[in-house]
Amino acid sequence: MSIKRQKLVSTAAIYAMLTPTFGLLAVFSLVPFVWAFVTSFFDYEVGGESRFVGFDNYLEYLHDPTLLPSFGNLLFLTVFGLLIVSTVPLAVAKLIFSLKSEKARYLYRVLFLIPIVVPGVAGMMIWQGMIYNDTGLLNETLRMLGREDLTRGWLSDPRTVLWAVVFMGFPFAGGINILIYYAGLAGISESIHEAAELDGARGLMKFLKIDVPLVMSQIKLLTILTVIGTVQGFEGMFILTKGGPGFKTMVPGLWMYMNAFSFQRMGYACAIGVLLFLLILSLTILNMRYFRSSEELKAESA
Amino acid sequence: MRNRWGQLALHAVLICILTLTLAPFVFVITNSMRTNSEMNHAFFGLPKFGRQMFDGYAYAWEVLRPYTLNTMLVCIVTGGGVVLVGSVSAYVFSRCKFKGRDTLFLAVLAFMMIPGVLTLVPSFLWVKKLGLLNSHWVLILPYLAGGQVFAIFLFKSFFDGLPGELFESARMDGAGHLKLYWSVVLPLSKSVIAVVGIVNILGTWNNFLWPFITNSDAKYHVISSGLYLMNQSNVSSNFATMFAAYVLASIPLLILFLYATKPFMQGVTSGAFKA
Repeated sequence: MSIKRQKLVSTAAIYAMLTPTFGLLAVFSLVPFVWAFVTSFFDYEVGGESRFVGFDNYLEYLHDPTLLPSFGNLLFLTVFGLLIVSTVPLAVAKLIFSLKSEKARYLYRVLFLIPIVVPGVAGMMIWQGMIYNDTGLLNETLRMLGREDLTRGWLSDPRTVLWAVVFMGFPFAGGINILIYYAGLAGISESIHEAAELDGARGLMKFLKIDVPLVMSQIKLLTILTVIGTVQGFEGMFILTKGGPGFKTMVPGLWMYMNAFSFQRMGYACAIGVLLFLLILSLTILNMRYFRSSEELKAESA
Repeated sequence: MRNRWGQLALHAVLICILTLTLAPFVFVITNSMRTNSEMNHAFFGLPKFGRQMFDGYAYAWEVLRPYTLNTMLVCIVTGGGVVLVGSVSAYVFSRCKFKGRDTLFLAVLAFMMIPGVLTLVPSFLWVKKLGLLNSHWVLILPYLAGGQVFAIFLFKSFFDGLPGELFESARMDGAGHLKLYWSVVLPLSKSVIAVVGIVNILGTWNNFLWPFITNSDAKYHVISSGLYLMNQSNVSSNFATMFAAYVLASIPLLILFLYATKPFMQGVTSGAFKA
């Protein structure tokens, strides 16, 4: 009966319903995707001549003065980001989850979510204009403590700029990550906890041996998202430092942006974009392959 | 007894972290009501009561009003479009049998692997060629194309989980696919719709680079690009105005947040977010 009815909806109707999806994907995702590779083999300036140059753009990037500093910065940002995302929100989620009162658990989750209403650009400019500013929170606090000697332009001093950038958003607890971990913790059945307690597991030991392995799916997801986000992210640098002072906070994405929109070198920019795509792709595949989520761990031990 | 102290300690730690998290925003609110001279006098302090408290807001709103309206328009059209297109396609992938279904679904998912950094420059060249620069469409259409992929993924895994008998019994009553989609599936999907809608609106609201490079005409600026340009202009030396602008830019999302917290939290907590 049901199969017969399904046949009534003709294949044509099905394809018609899928047309918006595939039409949009073809025009606004597939074309730019292909075009990125094509343009990367051309010396192309907007309004100027376009000339086929083979792999020249790629070869030039290998000798680019920003190559080493920008990938060094990227590594630093990624490691820092991974350390943070796999610890702070998980710990806060665990603290909230350990509360007895259901109301309190809900309230804390809502309150920690509030920072997502502040637009990202505004959040960065708040740190720039209010905390790292010459007369901002950080310097004024130091002056109050009588440590005028420690005050500085946090985003212009080459010794502090990178740390200033990564510490934006301290204590890294606001946002949706807590909810994601919380969902994982809530999915652990009570009987596992009871069994662990019978075996004498307590406190931190129990957290590390029971909770952490069982939220590996969430850790894996956030790890992948953090790596992808860091490799391609450069809005922060664009808004705060423009990669400076010098190339102290340059990242590959920002250099790509500058080549395209400041120096009009579209082909070169696309070549950098292609390299970043390949980097993201291989990191994602590595992550999928070698990072075991809890479901996969369970399947393997069964 | 030990337990009660433990709970108190938990609250103490959480309140500390929460204070640190929210403190910058509290400073933004208080300092948005203080003049530059008040702030130069003392960074920490409460605003002096009086009409001048709202000067920053009055000026910031004048600048931000058109940007806010643009952003809301783009957000509503994109969010609604993504929910509609995404749920229809997900319904087809989940509940219709046809040749090539799995291949097509994988083809859609494959687009998740294309990072924005790869397509930023060629997308710009492409929409320029299409003559879309300086319009609302240059934001809406690419956002729709990109946003629907994750939406289809979330919707499909939710539809797959709905009990089959539900569909069987509705079909027995002679309901077609349109009726099934509209009066059986959608009413059950409120929390997924909330998640998809909010994730999209947040993304659209926060997107800065794309509107910044595609709209040079001030008429089409959105909140993010508008705030950035405000910060680059000579307004930026007036702290109260800038801080007021940040507060104003956050209010629409705060309202949405108050309205949709519950279904959104249910949706995220249902465990769809894992790898």
